[in-house]
Amino acid sequence: MAAQLTLQAPLALPPQEVGDYLQRLWSTELEGSKGASTFTLLIYEASWLQQQMVRTGLVDGPITGLLDRPLIERAKAAVSECGLPLSTAVMDQRLSWALGQRQGSHHSDDLRGQFIDSAISAHMPRRLITLAPTLDGGRPLETLVSAFCPLIEEGAAAAQACGDAVVLRGGLGALQGNLGLIDALVESGLPCWVWWNSSLDEAPELLEALARAGRRLVVDSSLGVPRRCIDLLVQRIQTGQAVNDLNWMRLRTWRESLAMLFDPPSRRNALEHVVQLDIDVEGDHPLKGLLLAAWIADRLGWHLVSSFPVDGDGAGTGVGAEFERTDGATVQFRLMPVPVGVPRTHPGAMVGLRLVCAPEGRPPLCVILCSESGGCMRLEAGGMASMELLEDVVPVPEESEEMELARLLGGGHDTTNPLMVAAVQLAARLLPA
Amino acid sequence: MGAMLTNPLRVGLRQERVISPQCLVIFGASGDLTHRKLVPALFELFRQRRLPSEFAVLGCARRPWSDDDFRARMAEAMASDIAEHRTAWEQFSACLFYEPVDLQDPPTVVQLGERLKLIDRQRATRGNRTFYLSVSPAFYGSGCRALAAAGLLADPARSRVVIEKPFGTDYASAQALNKVVQACAQESQIFRIDHYLGKETVQNILVLRFANTIFEPIWNRNYIANVQITAAETVGVEERAGYYETSGALRDMVQNHLTQILALTAMEPPGRFDPESMRNEKAKVLQAARLANPDEPWKCCVRGQYAAGGAAGRPIAGYRQEPGVNPDSTTETYVATKLFINNWRWQGVPFYIRTGKRLPKRLSEVVLTFREAPVHLFDAAGGAPTPNQLILRIQPDEGADIRFEVKAPGSGMRSRPVDMAFSYDESFGEPSDEGYVRLLADAMLGDPTLYTRSDEVEAAWRLYTPLVELMEESPQQLPVYPYEARTWGPAAADSLLADDGLVWRRP
Repeated sequence: MAAQLTLQAPLALPPQEVGDYLQRLWSTELEGSKGASTFTLLIYEASWLQQQMVRTGLVDGPITGLLDRPLIERAKAAVSECGLPLSTAVMDQRLSWALGQRQGSHHSDDLRGQFIDSAISAHMPRRLITLAPTLDGGRPLETLVSAFCPLIEEGAAAAQACGDAVVLRGGLGALQGNLGLIDALVESGLPCWVWWNSSLDEAPELLEALARAGRRLVVDSSLGVPRRCIDLLVQRIQTGQAVNDLNWMRLRTWRESLAMLFDPPSRRNALEHVVQLDIDVEGDHPLKGLLLAAWIADRLGWHLVSSFPVDGDGAGTGVGAEFERTDGATVQFRLMPVPVGVPRTHPGAMVGLRLVCAPEGRPPLCVILCSESGGCMRLEAGGMASMELLEDVVPVPEESEEMELARLLGGGHDTTNPLMVAAVQLAARLLPA
Repeated sequence: MGAMLTNPLRVGLRQERVISPQCLVIFGASGDLTHRKLVPALFELFRQRRLPSEFAVLGCARRPWSDDDFRARMAEAMASDIAEHRTAWEQFSACLFYEPVDLQDPPTVVQLGERLKLIDRQRATRGNRTFYLSVSPAFYGSGCRALAAAGLLADPARSRVVIEKPFGTDYASAQALNKVVQACAQESQIFRIDHYLGKETVQNILVLRFANTIFEPIWNRNYIANVQITAAETVGVEERAGYYETSGALRDMVQNHLTQILALTAMEPPGRFDPESMRNEKAKVLQAARLANPDEPWKCCVRGQYAAGGAAGRPIAGYRQEPGVNPDSTTETYVATKLFINNWRWQGVPFYIRTGKRLPKRLSEVVLTFREAPVHLFDAAGGAPTPNQLILRIQPDEGADIRFEVKAPGSGMRSRPVDMAFSYDESFGEPSDEGYVRLLADAMLGDPTLYTRSDEVEAAWRLYTPLVELMEESPQQLPVYPYEARTWGPAAADSLLADDGLVWRRP
């Protein structure tokens, strides 16, 4: 987990001295070391859940900002202890809010920004800047500086470039009051990634200030109010900024599994005759399912006629929509929230997908994709006896956010993936107002 | 409504591995390979969004071109590719640069280093560089020396060099070249390209063998009677007479492409799918391979040369009548040979390899023929039961067939062979990437799995050394038989198998 080799212990410095110190660090103290000519990674690392769990004594510290398995398991137990629905994902901000209502004053070391995942350090960031807001909103700003080198693995080339890590820790007010310092720390001339590793509902001014034009933004649209998340994505994409959404990236296996079923040319014709698309998601966060539906609709050239809320049969509110195919026929779409006993880590995870195609002169084709972690009883229920049935199980890779982020850092683009652009724009229209 | 040409859901999904920021430097940028294969492959990677925005291609050659000249020449040569993707080309061509460099002239190589630093700043390519030597093989060694002398190969984590075939002309020259390039760079930085390994179907040999449990238990001497590897071309020598006259079919096809296919077919399962594990197993199996008659190599090899042929009204010139070919040439355009692999898995199983130009069909395939059933209970409709075969079709009509006996319809119990077929077209329906797309991407990713290591190259040359020596020292013992163009090679090649009671598969 902590694949970091610090060349020095993190050094606490007055904020105004950080810039000069870093300059000295590379020019004198680390003379001969190679500073990576790579990129700056600016992380907003709120870790409210971990902070609350440490404060309430549910887990021991230190606070690292990393979601490890013991933390997730303990958080799952806390869901029911807090009286939340069992389908509540541990990253759902209602959990950290509920924990925030509990008594507790446990303290632990706050090491956010000092534990660097090996997947990220392998890309040799030139500078890691971590903004670590504290539960105490009035806490003044502390700045910590250290240099690090990636761990050299056996058999790997020895010449690794080093970087430095800066942590700015304090209340939100203190962070917002030092935006000038943050901007000065971003290496000019190198690409800058901004990873908003928290809910998109919080600190909109800070997000706006950090995610300036030209910086590559990484967000997670599963964290926050769905309408706010999707609107933010649309707005950011419209500015021309490179936007990456971890929620969209987690759809990769679903998109691949669905595409795979239609790789044989003999089945492709069926894609022109889709009449019904149903998607089930965990809990009441529909964005991931909507992004998948929007991707399918965009790829198949469907035109959105209308969208509307539908009754989720006691499990919340779903989304219904009507599309028009390129040949004028209608496609019915339903996204339904379903209760699950063991939810995934992030809100709104995919449970299943059903695509019904009715090619002329051939029996209807029903495609059902089901998450390997759950059941698809609702989608498999009835009406398919006369159809050709294709069923597949979609693997759910257990990858951390850091792994997903590393995938982006490994070969970044300065534009947004066009497939995501189209899906986001359509998903924003699909989500009922 | 007709079937869709492409799977609309497949578009944009092939992004599993994204190349790190870097600059690809092509030496020999004014040559054919650059505009026919390399830049089109890079453009394809760009359109698949597998290139990062921090990317640059620096073409290098002696001609005094500018960046714009290079871009214009690439655009002209790739006009048909670009026509449908004009916007993408505009974006892609912005990362094309050119620097006049003569690898034999050290000051220009030093100047190249400065230009690369500038490109690092302009394109944030992070000092990662892949040098592609698309130059005459005579300059591979000196080219590497020049790059090393200029310090451009000093960082093994950020620089690598890709070397085209042929890597040497015999065992001794391959050894010598390996010594030179290994003095300039670490082995992990050296990527010896064999474009056959970039073919999807060649890689599929590995997946078929090691991702399934039904094949591996029977993939050995207990079940397999013989293996045939064929690479047949319908074309003649075309414009390559100058090169081909000094090379011939053995050096041009057998020592590299077909021997790599042999290695993939015969190797042991690696412990894991990483470059060194893979290449260790390939090297081991090549080191265990030997000619069927190493002491009398003329007994296990047949050479041929296409003579005039073709149908009336469409005559085909013989090799010796081709432009640029010596009228008395003894260069082989066809070669067939028989090998054994001395290990527990393959002891006693003959491997027959053949390749030729101006054969009736263009195809590459591997055919594994299984042993006959111990007792023939049933009469065969064709007179004798056909042994089971697994046919791996590398090109064209990529896929695989399994041939086995079934009951022929009717009241009797007669058997006849049928094929169970897998076709890439029918299952995936989309053309696979050109080999260079995969191999260039792998080189830039620093993944040498599909590149040949020094010991593999040397083992491959060592395997054919008795033949190479015979061809050079006593060619009359290995005569070049003429064969009519568009036939399956000289009759002597059939005898090579007939002696074992076998025949070549007629695809």
